[in-house]
Amino acid sequence: MTVFKTFWKVVKKYKGTIILYTVMLIVFGGINMATGDNQIDFVDSKPDVLIVNQDEEKGITENLINYIEDNCNIIDLEQDEEAINDALFYRDVNYVIYIPKGYRKDVLDGKNPELDIKSTGDYQASLAEMMLSRYVETQNVYVKGLENEADIIKAINDNFSKKTSVEMISKLDTGKTGKATLYFNFASYSIMAVVIFIICLVLSSFHEKTVNKRTIISSINYKTHNRLILSASFAYSVIVWALFLIVGMILLGDIMLTTRGLVYMLNSFVFTFCSLTIALFISTLVNDKNAVSGIVNVVALGSAFLCGAFVPAEWLPDTVLKIAHVLPAYWYINSNDLLESIEVIDMTTLKPIFVNMAVIIGFSALFIVVNNIVSRMKQKVG
Amino acid sequence: MFLHNFKYSLKTLFRSKMLLFWTFAFPIILGTFFNMAFSDIENNEKLDIIDIAIIDNEEFENNQMFKEAFETLGDESNDDRIFNIKYTDIEEAKKLLDDEEITGYVLLEEDHNNITVKSNGINETILRYVVDEIQSKKEIVMTLMRSDIAEIMDGAEAKLNNISNKNLSYTMIEYYTLIAMACLYGSMISMFITNYKLANMNSVGKRTAVSPIHKGKMLVGSLFASYVVSLIGIAILFVYTIFVLKVDFGNNLALVILLACVGSLAGLSMGVAVATLIKAGENAKTGILVAVTMFGCFLSGMMGITMKYIIDKNVPILNMINPASMITDGFYSLYYYDTLERYYFNIASLLIFSAVMILVSYRGLRRQKYDSI
Amino acid sequence: MDNVIEVKNLTKEYKNLKAIDDLSFEVKEGEILGLLGPNGSGKSTTINCILSLLNFQNGSIKIFGEEMRPDSYDTKSKIGVIFQEVAVFEELTVYDNIDYFCGLYVRDKQIRKKYVEEAIELVGIEEFKKFYPKQLSGGLLRRLNIACGIAHKPKLIFLDEPTVAVDPQSRNNILDGIKKLRDDGATIVYTTHYMEEVEIICDRIIILDKGKILAQGTSDELKKNAKIEEKITVEVAGMEEDNIETIRQFENVENVSFDSNVLIVTYKKGENNLGELIDYLRNNKIKYDKIFSERPTLNDVFLELTGKELRD
Repeated sequence: MTVFKTFWKVVKKYKGTIILYTVMLIVFGGINMATGDNQIDFVDSKPDVLIVNQDEEKGITENLINYIEDNCNIIDLEQDEEAINDALFYRDVNYVIYIPKGYRKDVLDGKNPELDIKSTGDYQASLAEMMLSRYVETQNVYVKGLENEADIIKAINDNFSKKTSVEMISKLDTGKTGKATLYFNFASYSIMAVVIFIICLVLSSFHEKTVNKRTIISSINYKTHNRLILSASFAYSVIVWALFLIVGMILLGDIMLTTRGLVYMLNSFVFTFCSLTIALFISTLVNDKNAVSGIVNVVALGSAFLCGAFVPAEWLPDTVLKIAHVLPAYWYINSNDLLESIEVIDMTTLKPIFVNMAVIIGFSALFIVVNNIVSRMKQKVG
Repeated sequence: MFLHNFKYSLKTLFRSKMLLFWTFAFPIILGTFFNMAFSDIENNEKLDIIDIAIIDNEEFENNQMFKEAFETLGDESNDDRIFNIKYTDIEEAKKLLDDEEITGYVLLEEDHNNITVKSNGINETILRYVVDEIQSKKEIVMTLMRSDIAEIMDGAEAKLNNISNKNLSYTMIEYYTLIAMACLYGSMISMFITNYKLANMNSVGKRTAVSPIHKGKMLVGSLFASYVVSLIGIAILFVYTIFVLKVDFGNNLALVILLACVGSLAGLSMGVAVATLIKAGENAKTGILVAVTMFGCFLSGMMGITMKYIIDKNVPILNMINPASMITDGFYSLYYYDTLERYYFNIASLLIFSAVMILVSYRGLRRQKYDSI
Repeated sequence: MDNVIEVKNLTKEYKNLKAIDDLSFEVKEGEILGLLGPNGSGKSTTINCILSLLNFQNGSIKIFGEEMRPDSYDTKSKIGVIFQEVAVFEELTVYDNIDYFCGLYVRDKQIRKKYVEEAIELVGIEEFKKFYPKQLSGGLLRRLNIACGIAHKPKLIFLDEPTVAVDPQSRNNILDGIKKLRDDGATIVYTTHYMEEVEIICDRIIILDKGKILAQGTSDELKKNAKIEEKITVEVAGMEEDNIETIRQFENVENVSFDSNVLIVTYKKGENNLGELIDYLRNNKIKYDKIFSERPTLNDVFLELTGKELRD
């Protein structure tokens, strides 16, 4: 019991670190909660567009604005150039349309006036530009072909009212599952950091030369002592896992109570266990507390960046993903990504996920074996 | 005395492996991670060529306009092509869609067009827009019934003038937060060196306190050494980010250097404050500095660029007291904006931050007698 | 002889503890003063107050006739301090450490070089000049600690338990060094709780407990002041309670104790005591083995004054 108690006392000393990583997870999770709503019938993707109108909002101009409003998310911003530029840079707005003064008149005069735009150049912006070009083109054609402004507007709107029907065959609400995947992917970083960091620090306290000698000569069996430390580390990891699950449940809600949610949990448990084995391995290799924080940061951040915890894996370069195969986090995140889009959960669809888990368990076994070899070699030397 | 302290502080710092790791190596490692993770993001966000299938039935064969339009849009020799088209039967198309080989397929029927997709998304929307557009052109031709229709349509193309700033690569923010982090990690160096001068924190501090030298004089030499060391670290990081990672800092190199110097000063003053104000072991102080810096970088977008924008937009005050954000925003304004007001605002904020930090630690630094040591 | 240090009515209180209680003493030029006391008796606190590192509630401190203040840089330049904790830069070599601290006192590089070499020689760490502190054993580290404090040839040296946890060889080396410093004309204030050291090197001793002076004087003076003059230790096979009582009634006996076959008798005065005790043992057929008669040690004095053992 003393070993356990001491373990927790040392853990308590580092509660600041645990809180820091938990807060980061909550902030990250919370921000992702704020975005996105979903349906299971097809809806058009709507680029985020800002209109700066210097013309009177009448006739042709009004209709253009209405059209954009119907087909895009209109972003409401202070119409100050700096705010607009910031919004564009941070992709809060994909496309900005400046309607010049006298636009309506110039259009009706058949001048085909130029429009200033700002674009982020990404696909959302491309879509917005497609919409705008098509609208303007249609408008120009009807201005040439028809006389009356009202007729032109009616013709344009008639033309645009006909939409190709779209059938969507997937009935999965990827909005919620997407959030869960984002959360659990980011959690891989928090889990690794909190588990490896704290366990390494605590164990280095136990392994410190003088303390270690004292333990060896004490009446407690050294093997029992080690076993107690291992079980305390395990208990600690389970608590961290449970903590992040509770945070997840608060942020994600009912999806956690489905079968899919259970698989997310199981997956994260396997990953937490693997982090524990990595922690034990690192603590055997290094006993210097200062070195621990360096190594942990490189390991945790490295695997988070390379495996897609921060940036979705589909956006990573192929070479990076290939390298990432040697990291447990890759398999963990891959499972989360798969879980996002599986429609029906059954043994066949879950099979790749179980394969991933097996790989992670394989990694854990590897770390345990290597850890034993290294610690035996160290005992002989020291 | 300045030189004596300066020389030995340099010697001390260059022997301290942990400090060198955090201030020199870690930012470079992290920058390399950034580069691996972010190098493809912005390309991925450009419009890719979309894989689709068209059901090659009788209606399609007879619909000249569709056929021609899709031929152009899918023509491999056309630089503007947006589709990679497979012409198949419906069974094959369904299978392709199921295997996620294609975004969707188009089925023309007698009176209307049909698109089948798997889920919502931008590619799906674009597919629909293109089909809509072809259809609407067809209708224009039918409704206007004019002989010069081809001419009118040729001259109707929209004239758009792109006036956006050229530097739009937002992943640059990541590297700016990286520089911010490196500047603020300089605080560890100054904390380390200041600790050695404080009798209530460190036994070496006691020894220097009983020496016949004014504490301020010693501190100036040592802090200058710590400033030099952190600037060397930043310089190496700049060389690495500019020449290896190809980070774009805009065109005004002098201002970039000024910002790095002022940013390092903020880091230095933060380290002095933590060293004097917080009575704890050196490891605990390092922990505090790392935590403060990392959280500051998190808020200024290191773990997700939108974070900075969200804070800027909703709780601007938070980023005005966050030195990591001031540094990041300074680089951002140099990169993205042509005017310099925002840049100088950030420089001023950093100077104020540094002054406040030095001011709050002034009393602790000046103290020579303690109630307990 | 002039007073190098004058401490008058020094009082230092921590929140709930009186660390130094109205303490007054002087240190004379050229002497080695031993500050002796159990752990927590206020030795280090006294030194830190004298050095103007600690605030104190009351009292005055003069060094070389001048009021000691944090900015008394002239005075400070004549002082060398060796603290209890090893106070060196982990990141600097032995030589660089000594050179750095010496450099705070001595600007001239040539002179400094000579001084540093001399200090290294004094504590006997010539072979370790290029070593880093981490590579040194505890004893060598202490010697480095001392070298850092005295390289600038101070006139007044404070040594705060410099020999704690030091191997005998290093210890002898350190004590020799201290004597050499005194011979070169330095005044030394030396705190310790090692009795033998004090007996060997100190000219004068102050015994402190709970922030008060219990006694002061030379080693002999202190012993004379003590109530006991002789201590006889006998190894005996066994004794009855009656025998002990009888011995207690002998003339001059201060105290008798018997524990695990060792009989200790202390006497107020020291004449013919041994003969009387041996006669008694022989007459009563008590078998005895070894007998020691000795004058009381400082330890006995200390025990008598404070009721505490010196060593922890």
